[in-house]
Amino acid sequence: MPYQMKVDGMAEISELLEKMDKEAPGIAAQALYEGAGIMSAEIRKGAETIRTAPFKYAREGERLPSPEEKEIILQAGAGIAKFDKGGTEVNTSVGYRASGYADLNGKTKPIPLIVNAVNSGTSFMKKQPFIRKAANSGSPKAMAAMKAKIEKAFEDMNK
Amino acid sequence: MPSEYEALVAALKLTSIPFAEYGWKTRPEGAYGVVQLDFEAGSLNGDGAKADRAWEGSVDLFYPKLSDRTDLIDEVEETLAEVVGDSWSLNSTQYETGTGLFHVEWVFQCMDTPEDEPEVIPDAVPDEG
Repeated sequence: MPYQMKVDGMAEISELLEKMDKEAPGIAAQALYEGAGIMSAEIRKGAETIRTAPFKYAREGERLPSPEEKEIILQAGAGIAKFDKGGTEVNTSVGYRASGYADLNGKTKPIPLIVNAVNSGTSFMKKQPFIRKAANSGSPKAMAAMKAKIEKAFEDMNK
Repeated sequence: MPSEYEALVAALKLTSIPFAEYGWKTRPEGAYGVVQLDFEAGSLNGDGAKADRAWEGSVDLFYPKLSDRTDLIDEVEETLAEVVGDSWSLNSTQYETGTGLFHVEWVFQCMDTPEDEPEVIPDAVPDEG
């Protein structure tokens, strides 16, 4: 006599998988938003530690950013780019790329260039890599938060 | 100072580009470079102590003539590859309108590698009996 096997609940599993397929991109986007928020806060925390000195032209050697330049960076804040949902992934970037312009010493200057000069340094400005440092220390925190968010969302879905 | 960083600084100072640590007091004419350690990148911990620490640092190259580009960049990249292996990357390239200098920035990670201690082989214990 042949053995017989019976599996119950295939309909439920298939239903759950279908639901997952539909809801996964939304859950991923929510988690990514959470992670991007953490990175943005981390970069701001880094921007607060920028050392400053009153503005002077550095003919020789290097100068530090002026308090006005630091204020512009703090005011602008690191923004979160529009989410790029392509295929199986969701991407975004956090930074100052679309921060616009600011008035500095009577001239209008693009904020990304000011941030770049502080972060990477120039021939006349001391480098203070606050964004690289924030990315280094903040990404484990952001990843942990995103993982928790995704796990919670799937638990709620399975109820 | 991590030993790999010290080796890198020594190797960069042997290149044809003048290199200084943490910036110049008086900028040299022509192309020049800056090398510095930025922050601790991470560590492996064991036995309640830091076992392996890694630092992140950067190499900056400034050059006034675009035609010098490939030679100078190759020289720095070859030195980086020689000392820190593959743990470096090109971080940014910029142009300064005010001074007309081109600026290339590399990021590297280095570790404190202690000199290899000679392995002590215990004396063979003669079999008893």
